[in-house]
Amino acid sequence: MSDIIIKELGKGINLHIIPDKKFKTVYISYCFHRDLDEDYTYNALIPAVLKRGCKGYEDQKKIGAFLEEQYGALFDVGVQKRGERQILRFTMDLVNEAYTAKDGLLAQSFYFLNRIINKPLLENSAFREDYVSQEKENLKNKIQALINDKIQYSIERCIQEMCKDEKYSRFVLGSVEDLESLDSERLYKVYQDMIVSSPLDIFVVGDVDVEKVSFLIKNSLDLDRAQTKVIPETIIKRVGVKQREVVESMDVAQAKLNIGFRTNTSVRENEYFPLVVYASILGGGPHSKLFINVRERSSLAYYAFARLEKYKGLMLIGSGIDQKHYQKALDIIMEQVKDMEKANISDQEFTAAINAITTSLKGAKDEPEQLVSYYLGNAVTGANFTLDDFIEKIQQVKLEDVVEVSKRVKVDTVYLLSPKEGNSLNG
Amino acid sequence: MDKSMENKFLREKIIYNKLKVGLDVYILPKPGYSRQFAIYATRYGSNDSQFVPLGKNEAITVPDGIAHFLEHKLFEEEEGNVFEEYARLGAQPNAFTNFNMTAYHFTSTGNFYECLDVLMGFVGRPYFTDENVEKEKGIIAQEIKMYEDNPYWRVYFNLLKGLYHEYPVRKDIAGTVESIYKINKEILYECYRTFYHPSNMVLFIAGDVDADRVIKQAEDLFARQPVEEAGGEIERIFPDEPKGVAQARIEEKLAVSRPMFALGFKDEDITGGGNRLLEKIIANEIILDMLVGPSSDIYNSLYEEGLIDSSFGTDYTGERNYGHAIMSGQSSDPEKVASILYDEIDKRKSQPWDQDYFLRIKKKKTGQYIRLFNSLESTSIQFVSMLFRDINLFDYYQTIESMTYDYIVKEFKQLYNRSNSCLSLVLPKA
Repeated sequence: MSDIIIKELGKGINLHIIPDKKFKTVYISYCFHRDLDEDYTYNALIPAVLKRGCKGYEDQKKIGAFLEEQYGALFDVGVQKRGERQILRFTMDLVNEAYTAKDGLLAQSFYFLNRIINKPLLENSAFREDYVSQEKENLKNKIQALINDKIQYSIERCIQEMCKDEKYSRFVLGSVEDLESLDSERLYKVYQDMIVSSPLDIFVVGDVDVEKVSFLIKNSLDLDRAQTKVIPETIIKRVGVKQREVVESMDVAQAKLNIGFRTNTSVRENEYFPLVVYASILGGGPHSKLFINVRERSSLAYYAFARLEKYKGLMLIGSGIDQKHYQKALDIIMEQVKDMEKANISDQEFTAAINAITTSLKGAKDEPEQLVSYYLGNAVTGANFTLDDFIEKIQQVKLEDVVEVSKRVKVDTVYLLSPKEGNSLNG
Repeated sequence: MDKSMENKFLREKIIYNKLKVGLDVYILPKPGYSRQFAIYATRYGSNDSQFVPLGKNEAITVPDGIAHFLEHKLFEEEEGNVFEEYARLGAQPNAFTNFNMTAYHFTSTGNFYECLDVLMGFVGRPYFTDENVEKEKGIIAQEIKMYEDNPYWRVYFNLLKGLYHEYPVRKDIAGTVESIYKINKEILYECYRTFYHPSNMVLFIAGDVDADRVIKQAEDLFARQPVEEAGGEIERIFPDEPKGVAQARIEEKLAVSRPMFALGFKDEDITGGGNRLLEKIIANEIILDMLVGPSSDIYNSLYEEGLIDSSFGTDYTGERNYGHAIMSGQSSDPEKVASILYDEIDKRKSQPWDQDYFLRIKKKKTGQYIRLFNSLESTSIQFVSMLFRDINLFDYYQTIESMTYDYIVKEFKQLYNRSNSCLSLVLPKA
């Protein structure tokens, strides 16, 4: 793999190319950065409406046929939350034309993406009304479908309770209330604002020629840009918090215990690196304290993990348990957290964590999507560590640093999704 | 016995070798990749619930969920467990059990040869005690309950229950909380001895590795850790599956936001394994795309009417002894979706699609196949799962190329019958 090449393409537009001969596809992603402000539902709806059609490819049937013709190129859009910002993504994943009997696949993909983003179908200075109303309904269903995945649901609810008074509590896909009172004119204005002023990062991963890709993008992308907006930094609480408990009941077979912590550490601080190691020792896989003590030693759960919400300085612990073992599970989990602070960490645990993180970071080099995700993170935080730099930083972490950073980690919210009375099955 | 297979179209090759103990080893060299991936798999899954144990004459029926239970327990060692070993080496281990296979794998970015020794070592070294078997029941009970709460999982498994009368694919892979409590170390050893002989297994490795060294190391391991004489073909007993579906409609109520559905068609044209099965699988994937794929008329009219959304998807499963096609998604009115799909099927039987459409979908399938080889994990798992059906994944491209329009029309008319279908629904609890 070659190193990443970053070029400025114009006002607030950065092109990131990762040329790599081993890939059989070219992965392209256009990422617009938006503040997670009161327009967050509008932000979430925009990619869904744009995906429906544009000038030249007016409906999904035409888009579908085009993609099939391009050897089944994958086209998708989406919205992600990275700290207190939303990333609106437009992605193509196409077979490298070297493997096909057809030239120009790459050029057509850039052309197509530009049209999707930049040439929407309009009616009376707003998006086509039927597309908006259908996608409003689809988005509403998607927001409500969070409840179908109880693991995700309980994590999201824990975060919402924990960050109640912060904009981070906003759900990545928006709110049903906003959709119900959605103003189509405003939707179009938010879109125009995105085109004109949102920072844009374009990623291209695959066996490509840097000059050719730069040329093709410049040639296809005709955004009418003004001054780029500065997106406010994510606020990381640095005050002591009082532990809260939230219990919600639902008709489920298994209880979900989630615990939210404030790490009081920004991804921009040097302490972030020991924090990554900390979370891995505590709950980053089969080598971790939570896996060994909650699952293997006590047979209380099938899964028990700790993970960082790195952009917001949070850590989440999650586990699926039998309701009657709630207190026992909570005690064992909190004991592991205390052990971290008391430096009850063996050399094996420490080394295992460093090795596990290294493997997963090195492994990211084999997955175009993971590469983009990592480097998009840099674009969000302003960091410029390559994957190799990051690995080096992790390997320099010492056990003392982990113990030191553990003192910053404070429990905030204990959230339990509890089966309704009488619904608990006996195990 | 050294054999290489080359695929010029993909620019890939695979090195094959059969070890003295009868283990098939395949290596896919992937220069430039940081990861190495190894998967060690046995032809043994949840469907193998009735069989003649090695060295016995009588068939036995084992508790449901035992293949999966065994998968969990193999990680246990007399001293410590395998996770610690892998953790020291920095590898990411995992395992899975499905209807027809159990597989153990790891991803590494260094210490590959040591990791490989760990993998082949622990899979060859069962250590079951009354105590460690009991301990696992609590963990697996929680795994089962996790799936009970997963509506995406439920709608699928309920569909299989509706499609099949007798065939064990109708049962959950992990069994039930009741059935796993019947498992003890003696039955586990019996299953292990029968199904974990290296001659019933495959080792597949993808990554930038030295093939000769892998082969030598694997031979050395079996010299150190000898295995019993192979018992020959394992006698597996599968019930006769009556024609037609067990239930035309099956529903469950769960805490979901709106209805989920899976409409399945049971395939009664059983081909066994090999190239005939590969043709069938590819044909049916093409059929599903043409029938309800993203550029089909029916997908778009259902979408525009708000009856389906982007959660809609399709799948064809083709195994030696069974097969089915599935269309699934979420809808506020799944019965209406099913009825429109039935009508579309009837219509297409008399007015099939354009030839151009067929050629376009073939292109799409070709692209999907090329894309697969980007991922070490997906390629390896797919290769092994095809091998277990006597299919060589390298034959896939040629089979797409030679697929005829007449064959897919014939296959479409054969499989898609209302009388062979089941609609599975998960509905919101009031």
